[in-house]
Amino acid sequence: MKMTPLLLVFGGLMVFWASVFAMVIIPAITLDRTPSEIWRPWTEKEAKGHDLYVKNGCSYCHSQFIRNFDWDLGAERIAASGDYAGQTPAILGTERTGPDLSQAGGEHPDDWHAAHFTNPRFTRPESLMPSWEFLGKENLENLTAYIQAEGGRDADFRVARQQEWKQAALAAYQSGPDANIQWLHGQIPAVWQPMPNPYPATPADLGRGKKIYQQFCIHCHGSMGDGNGAAAPYLQPPPLNFTLLRRHLVENRYIGGIFYYQIMNGITGTGMPYFKRELESEKIWDVSNYLAVMFLGYTDANLEPRGIEASYEPPWKNGYEAPAAEDVK
Amino acid sequence: MLNLSSITARMAAPANGWTGFLDRPKSASQAFLVAGAAWFVIGTLYGLVSAIDLVAPELFNNIPWLVFGRSRPIHVNTVIYGFVTGLLLGSGLHYVPALLRTRLWSERLGWIGCFFWQLTVLSGPLTFSFGYSQGREYAEYLWVFDASLVISVVILLFDMLMTVASREEDTLYVSVWYFVGMLVWTCGVYPIGNVMWRPATGAVPGLLDSIFLWFYGHNLPGLVLTPLALGAAYYVLPRITNTPLYSHTLSLAGFWTLVALYSHIGGHHILQAPIPNWLKVYSVVDSMAMVIPVGIVLANLWLTARGRGGAIWRDPAGRFVMAGTLWYLITCIQGPFQSLPSVQTVTHFNNWTVGHAHIAVLGFSGFIALGALWHVLPLAAGRRLYSERLVNLQFGLIVTGLAGFFAVLTIAGLIQGSAWYNGEMVYRVLPQIGVYMALRAMLGMLIASAAILGLYNAVKTITSGEPVALSAASEEVNP
Repeated sequence: MKMTPLLLVFGGLMVFWASVFAMVIIPAITLDRTPSEIWRPWTEKEAKGHDLYVKNGCSYCHSQFIRNFDWDLGAERIAASGDYAGQTPAILGTERTGPDLSQAGGEHPDDWHAAHFTNPRFTRPESLMPSWEFLGKENLENLTAYIQAEGGRDADFRVARQQEWKQAALAAYQSGPDANIQWLHGQIPAVWQPMPNPYPATPADLGRGKKIYQQFCIHCHGSMGDGNGAAAPYLQPPPLNFTLLRRHLVENRYIGGIFYYQIMNGITGTGMPYFKRELESEKIWDVSNYLAVMFLGYTDANLEPRGIEASYEPPWKNGYEAPAAEDVK
Repeated sequence: MLNLSSITARMAAPANGWTGFLDRPKSASQAFLVAGAAWFVIGTLYGLVSAIDLVAPELFNNIPWLVFGRSRPIHVNTVIYGFVTGLLLGSGLHYVPALLRTRLWSERLGWIGCFFWQLTVLSGPLTFSFGYSQGREYAEYLWVFDASLVISVVILLFDMLMTVASREEDTLYVSVWYFVGMLVWTCGVYPIGNVMWRPATGAVPGLLDSIFLWFYGHNLPGLVLTPLALGAAYYVLPRITNTPLYSHTLSLAGFWTLVALYSHIGGHHILQAPIPNWLKVYSVVDSMAMVIPVGIVLANLWLTARGRGGAIWRDPAGRFVMAGTLWYLITCIQGPFQSLPSVQTVTHFNNWTVGHAHIAVLGFSGFIALGALWHVLPLAAGRRLYSERLVNLQFGLIVTGLAGFFAVLTIAGLIQGSAWYNGEMVYRVLPQIGVYMALRAMLGMLIASAAILGLYNAVKTITSGEPVALSAASEEVNP
C-alpha cells in the first residue's frame, strides 16, 4: 500500500469521522434528556453562582457525580443522567481534592459557607482550598446559593430543614447561655444523656483527642474551648463555649454521651456539622474526653454504668471529682 | 496576494527589509521552537504555583490570579498547546519540507499560523487569571481564541498540503503522514470538543457535554500530541542512527490503527458517570486495544534503532527522543490498565491520574518534543547547538523530576483511592498526602529549572550559536 496525499487526507477524514459518528453523534441523538425526579431549574442567583464555579476552576478539585461505591458527602444519591438536564456546562470533574459537591445543598447552613469561603480553614482546619474572600460578598452569596441548590429537590428539602432548625437554635441562643444548653441537651435522646464515656482518659487517649480537636474543631470552638475560634464571627448562633458545660452535667455526673451524640449527629441549623462519616466510635470518645478534661476540668470516663472492661484497657481510675453543686452556680 | 508574495519570497534568496525575516526559509519553524521553549518556562512556573497551592494554600492568600482554580488551567493549556504542541509543530515545519526535498510552500503562511497559535496560548494567562474561562477541562480557551487556534490549524494545513503538492520527493515518509494527519484531525477534534457552535458557553446542555468533552479530552493526547510526537520520533531517530526505517508495513499499520482506535476511548474518563453502558464498553475495549498501535510503532522505531543504542545515547537530542519512546511504553501500559472498571474504583478522582497525565504529556510527547527541538533547531537556524552540556543537564533534571513526580503522585493516588474505597472521607485523607504534595512541588522545581536552562540554550543557539554552512547532503539525509 502506497501512501498518497489523497489517501492520507481522505482516508484520515473517513476513519476519523466514522469515530465521531459512533462516539459523539449517536450519543447526541440517543441520550435521554428527561430531567430526573430531583431536578429543578436554577434561580438567577444560583445560575450566577454556577457561572462563578465554572470560571474559577472549582471543578479541578470538586467532582459532580456520586458513584455506587462512594461513602462521602452526597453518598445517599447515586448520580443519574437526568440530574444534569439543561445545565451548561455540567462539569463532572476529574479530581477530588475536596469532596464531591453534586449533593452538597443543605449539608451546611449559609453562615457556615460564609466562614468557609472567607477562609476554608476556619471551618475545616486541614482544607487545601484557597480563600475566596477576594470574590466579594455578592459573588460569595451567589456561589453559596449555587452550592445550596446542588442536589435539586433533595437539596431543597435539606435546606428547609437547616432553616427550620436555625430558627429554633437562634431562639435558644437568645434565651441565654444556660437556657441554650438546656435546649441543646433536650434535643438528645434520653438514653444517651446519662451515659459516661467508656474510654479511660489516659494521656494517650487525651493525646489522640487533641489531634482530632485540632483537625476538626479548633477554629470554631477556639484553642481555649470558649467558642471564640476564627470562624465564630461568621456563625449565628456562634460555636458553643464548652466551659459552660461544667455547670450542666446530667445528674451532676454525665457529659460523655451528650458529647458523643452531638459530635456524631451535629446540630442541624447551626455551623456544627455531623461527623459520623468522618469519625468512628473511638475517635469521637477520645475527643469527648479531651473536651471534658481540657475545658470542663472533669470527665465521666469509666464511671458506672459500665460493662466488662475491654482487654486492652490499662488499670486506669477516674480521679476527677464532679463539681459540687454550689461550686458551679 | 499572499500566494504571490510567498512564491516570490521562495524565489528570493536572502530576504531583506524589516519584514525580511518573515520570508527567511525555516524562520516560522524557529519561531514555533523558540516560543515553545518559552512556553515551557511559563507553563511550568504556573504548574509550580499550582503545586505550591496544594502544599501551602495560604502562601498566595487572596492573590486572585494565583489561586489553584485559575493557575492550573493556565499550566495545563500552556504546556500542552504552547510547549509540547508548539515545539512539535515547529519541528514539523522543518522536517516535512525537508523530507519532501522542498521548502515550506509559504514561509509567511507559517508565520501567520504561528501568530494565531501563539495568540491562543497567550490568552490562557491573560484570561484565566482574571476568571474568564469556559471552565471545561482542557477546553477552557474562550471562543475567540478557540477560533484563533482553528484558523492557525487551517492555515498550517493549507501550507502543508501545498508543500506536499510542490514536493520533489515522490514518497511520503511516515512523519509526513502523522503531521498532516494531526492537522486534518485537529480541524475536527477541536471544534467538536470545544462545542464551537455555541460560543457563549462552549458546551452543550446536560450530561451529553461530558461525552463531547472527553471525546476531545482524550483525542488531545491521541490525535494531536501522539501523531506529532511520533512524526518527530520517526524523523529524528533514523537520522541519528543513520539507518533506514525498519518496516513500511508497520508504519502503515501503526498509523491507521492509531486513528481508528484512539478516537474511541474518551469515555473511559467518565466510566463511573451515568453515561450509556455501550459507550463505556466501547471505550474500555478500544482502550485495551491501544496496545496494538503502540506496540507496532515502538517495535518499528526500536528495530530501526537496534544495535545503534550508543549513537542515540551520545546524541543529546536522540537521548530525549528515545527516553520519550520509553515513557510512551509506560504511559500506554498504564493507560489501558487504568481504563478497567475494577482498577478505576481505586485510581479515579485522585493523584494517580495526575501522575499518568504528566508522563503522557511531559514524558512521552514532551521528551520527544524536546528531542525534536534540539535536533531541528540547529538545522533550522543553520547554527550549532549553543551547548550540548546544557541539554544533558536539562535531560537529567527532567528525568529525575518526572520519575520522582510519577512515583509520588502514584503513591499519593493509591493512598487516596484505597482510603476512599474503604470508607474514609476525602477530608480525612488530606493530611496523608501532604508529604507527597510537598515532594511533588520540590520535584517540580527541577523541571522548572530544566525549562529555564532550555530557553536560555535555545535563544543562545539562534543568536550566537556557531554558524554552519550546512551542506545540502548533511541536511537532507532523510530516513
